[in-house]
Amino acid sequence: MNGAWVTFKKELLSYLVSPVGWVIAVVFYLWRGYEMAQEAERFAVRRLDLDLFSTSSYGLPSTFLMVLLVPGVLTMRCFAEERRTGSIETLMTAPVRDGAVVVGKWGAAAVFFSLLWLPSIVVLWVLGFEPFFGVGLSFGPVIAAYLGMFLLSGMLLAFGCFASSLTDNLLLAALLAILFDFALLSLPRQIAAGVSDLENRYYLREILQKFDVAQNFADWFSRGLIDTSQVAFYVGGVVFFLFLTTVSLSSRRYA
Amino acid sequence: MIRVSDLSKRFGATLAVDRVSFEVSRGEVVGFLGPNGAGKTTTIRVLTCYHPATSGSASIAGCDVATDSLRARRAIGYLPENVPIYPDLRVVEYLHYRAALKGVPRKDRRAAVQRAMEKAEVVDVARKPCGNVSRGYRQRVGLADALVANPPILILDEPTSGLDPNQRRRIKQVVRDLATEHTILFSSHILSEVQDVSSRILVIHRGTLRADGAPAELVAKSAARTLRAVAKASPSQMLDLATGVPGLRGARATRVDDVCSALVAEVAPGVDPSADVGARLLAAGLVPTELRIDMPTLEEFFHRVTEGGDEGAADTLGGVA
Repeated sequence: MNGAWVTFKKELLSYLVSPVGWVIAVVFYLWRGYEMAQEAERFAVRRLDLDLFSTSSYGLPSTFLMVLLVPGVLTMRCFAEERRTGSIETLMTAPVRDGAVVVGKWGAAAVFFSLLWLPSIVVLWVLGFEPFFGVGLSFGPVIAAYLGMFLLSGMLLAFGCFASSLTDNLLLAALLAILFDFALLSLPRQIAAGVSDLENRYYLREILQKFDVAQNFADWFSRGLIDTSQVAFYVGGVVFFLFLTTVSLSSRRYA
Repeated sequence: MIRVSDLSKRFGATLAVDRVSFEVSRGEVVGFLGPNGAGKTTTIRVLTCYHPATSGSASIAGCDVATDSLRARRAIGYLPENVPIYPDLRVVEYLHYRAALKGVPRKDRRAAVQRAMEKAEVVDVARKPCGNVSRGYRQRVGLADALVANPPILILDEPTSGLDPNQRRRIKQVVRDLATEHTILFSSHILSEVQDVSSRILVIHRGTLRADGAPAELVAKSAARTLRAVAKASPSQMLDLATGVPGLRGARATRVDDVCSALVAEVAPGVDPSADVGARLLAAGLVPTELRIDMPTLEEFFHRVTEGGDEGAADTLGGVA
């Protein structure tokens, strides 16, 4: 695992010194901050149940845009950039397994993505104090929702790595990943809506239900519930796409 | 240390390397010569486990590049032609990263990086971002990367490509110094470099190996020496002189100026007819102003092998390999 760890450290450093990551962070937090302020005002004016505030903050548009766009943008460099500059040759001729490189790159993207999210917990914590709500907000659902968010993002980042391994064009890699994210978030629901006798088609219904990421997220993680089958779905997705990425890289050796 | 056997590599309909076989022994410095597009880089990429071979086999330090790729890669320090390095990392950071990736233990890493930087002469740019160093330094940073894990075998693909004469000289000197500790296979299409640095050359052209041997040996065996004599005589007198001299063939004479003519003839291998020609000139009362045998150059040899078609190739490999 030395290769994975070394790659992870180098890639994480690249994210931390790259302006792209920080631009994403700044734009995200300006927007998120504005949305949270609006949401806090809505709760205060309408005197809504504050226990729901943490959960409700996950339904904000910035969450979906973050999940939809950022994984593709973060991972577009992973292999496409290495191919474009030719450094893939020095990387792949070093004595390190392809799978270790893939895991290292995905791990760095996942950790950086998580770092982008972590300050949003601080925002919730601050809102619990005077002169804001002045009550302890419920953090149980927050933890479950963050876990769900990381699992979902992990799978989308793994797909982003795969997309990046297919081309040397960064934009194309990002676009592929974003299209996949969009399809995963919206297609199952749209397909389900388009099938007239879905109730009678057990397997199709089950499959669409399992893949309806947005609905599952709303039904489980954002309510503070952790379903092991959901966890297995996302972990399986991560493993599957990292495997595909490794195969894509290794195919060069077996061509 | 390097063994290549009937190696072929096909990209779609193009046969880039066609049944190439050679061996490089421990401590040898072998120049891999060929015109652009001859198949040098493709062969090297198979050896460094970047591409698979279509057929045939190759092994590095006893490890098959297809079935034991990781161990084969551990034995190689590779400098690719375009030296792709991460522009945002400092030279020393890049080398630390590469040392770690190549499995140099943490406690030895600092010393390994320092040693590689000293050998490749990049200590003075150690703190500079890789993206800001000149082409010459970039090449040497790539060389330091190849050296950082102290592998027994170095494979250098066009290490002097795109460099100015001074930078080329430095790289050649570095390669020469490395030859005492490493087995080196380096490709180039610049003949003088190969002649200066390597003890043996392989010539590849259109994917096939055309020659394999020591530069002087190859040149001597593949191209004829030329006798040139100049004397105060007419061309016909000079031609008469050459008639019947053993080992001379294809003699022709031309006028050099108003009084002198030159005789030029091919010399057969293993013969030195200069004494005979000199004696004949003196006997005829002609004073030679010039009498010499020109050795063929590597350039002529290279031209013959790569431009002379398959006939030249067959001569060369048949005689030497």
